[in-house]
Amino acid sequence: MRLPPTERIAADAVKAWKVTAHLVTVIPLLLTVASLILPSFVDFFNYWIGAGLAVFTIVLWVFSAIILPNLRWKRWRYEVFDQEIYIQHGILIVTRTLVPMIRVQHVDTQQGPILKKYGLATLEISTAATTHEIPALLEAEASDLRDQISELARVEQDDV
Amino acid sequence: MSKPKRLHPLSMLFTVIQTIRQMIVSLLPPFIIAIGDRSWLILGVATSLFLVLIVIYQVLSWFRYTYQVEDDQIRIEQGILIRKRRTISKHRIQSIDLSQSVIHRIFGLTKVQIETAGNDHNIDAKLHAVRMHEGKALHDHLKYNKHQNAQDHEASEPLNQTENEKNAKHYPSKTIRLQSLFIAGSTSGSFGVIIGLIGVSFSELESLIPDHYYNRLTNWVFEQAIPTFIFLAIFFFILLWAFGILMTLVQYWNFTITRYDKELFITRGLLEKKQSTIPLKRIQAVGINETVIRQPLGFATLYVEVASGEVTNSPEMYTILFPLIRKKQIAAFLEELLPEYRYTQSSMAHVPKRALPYYLVRMGVLPLIATTIVGIFAFEWIVLPLVITVLALILAYFQYKVAGYQIEGDQLTLQSRKINKDTVFVNHKRLQSFKLKQHIFHRKQDLASLDTAILSRFAGRHLILKELNEHDVDRIANWYSYRNEDI
Repeated sequence: MRLPPTERIAADAVKAWKVTAHLVTVIPLLLTVASLILPSFVDFFNYWIGAGLAVFTIVLWVFSAIILPNLRWKRWRYEVFDQEIYIQHGILIVTRTLVPMIRVQHVDTQQGPILKKYGLATLEISTAATTHEIPALLEAEASDLRDQISELARVEQDDV
Repeated sequence: MSKPKRLHPLSMLFTVIQTIRQMIVSLLPPFIIAIGDRSWLILGVATSLFLVLIVIYQVLSWFRYTYQVEDDQIRIEQGILIRKRRTISKHRIQSIDLSQSVIHRIFGLTKVQIETAGNDHNIDAKLHAVRMHEGKALHDHLKYNKHQNAQDHEASEPLNQTENEKNAKHYPSKTIRLQSLFIAGSTSGSFGVIIGLIGVSFSELESLIPDHYYNRLTNWVFEQAIPTFIFLAIFFFILLWAFGILMTLVQYWNFTITRYDKELFITRGLLEKKQSTIPLKRIQAVGINETVIRQPLGFATLYVEVASGEVTNSPEMYTILFPLIRKKQIAAFLEELLPEYRYTQSSMAHVPKRALPYYLVRMGVLPLIATTIVGIFAFEWIVLPLVITVLALILAYFQYKVAGYQIEGDQLTLQSRKINKDTVFVNHKRLQSFKLKQHIFHRKQDLASLDTAILSRFAGRHLILKELNEHDVDRIANWYSYRNEDI
């Protein structure tokens, strides 16, 4: 097996992912609460549905907010060479991606409110046929990398 | 060639037909309501008013549509109220295709389609009808006469030169034989589609045929003995088959492919003559498709994946390079017409034995679940899902059998099967990205899946090969990697 990439993404990524997971859990939580209250008002609604939803919510929360972010962070690696970008990610299914510089069409950085809070940004690399992502890099690092990649990708492009 | 020209007046006919065809669907409901109300007068007035409006509009747009060829560009002006001017530079033109429908051919006209590289097909120009010689001149001027020429008379000279050059130099070319076309038609399996169509039209017919005729007919059918039924079914089947062959014949009649220096040129069609140009540098990959029916007979279809913004209505995902060819002849065919791609059947590295369980599970799991459910709730129907499960497992075995890869110089060959066997040749520089995927069980068994992407007509196409030996995937990764480094 080829060596995995060396660079890790920002450590704060774990925090950002956890916050996102907490926020996402609010939706099933509200549903659970609603389905626990509802049976007191209408007959056809059963408490079992509420109980099921509650279990689902807790499992979802434990996985997405406590277990997965750390594992995900540990697996996330990337490395930018002069000729290509090398990315590794995935918990159960590990994916390693090679994107040659001369195939890169454009590079974006993007930042949502949660990432902004932690001073992070996501780098998105597009080829003519695919897009690839390096999530949660430090802002400065992300924009440096973006400039660096677009500089490297500027070598003479033969068609497509 | 500098005066603005109009299209042939007959182009109005085409645009009128086109508009009516486009609008007919949205106009059908009010039409039907009007018929139901028996308000013939309103219907007649509305229809004729509508037709008059369309005709006036099309006449005006024909009048305002001009095209003009300059040194190395074509300029098109159009629009009745809002004037649009479009200039397409010769260097940006990817292909110019001439096609003729039956009406075109009666009047010696041709349709000219100018295609550029952009994703927006609105940018491409379409001249609905010009005289044949005019179309040819346009084609030759914009395609072959690459030198700048200020004056017209000068421009015509190099044009002739290139014509002569073209005639002098022998370009390899291949035409399909009638016999192959028959085989292509009879193995096309397109009758599945036709059966569907006829089914639909039958259910429509039911409402049109007066009730007592329909009843009498069905009574007659049900009174017949089973042999008659079988006879009818066979007759029907043969009819459909013949129809399928006919369709293939009409579509691919006299299919000829010619290799020029920088492009492939295809002409085909019996009623509607179609020309298409495939610039070599737009070709992303070449593939061999062997359907389940054709593979045992040793036949295959050759196709190319072309990067193009062209949005066509045709259901084909790719461009046919040759409708039917013997598998043995493919290597020779490619060598003659497309030497950039090589086909050697030897030294294909296959998926290891320990990958077989993954293939079987992947295909078998859903039908197996279905079988279990049916077994519990409706045991008397168990045979049907069981048969499907067995078929799925057989298919899975052959998927496993076929999967393989081969690296030869700059070319990667991937062979896989969904239902049909598909062999794809890709050049190193056409691969957009490379992925190695491995889940937990894979890691223990030194297996890995590979996923690469090429550009095709619709965004990207992923070429996936599942459960290869890990070191094989690594080998491909090393071959693909632009870093020269041995790991």
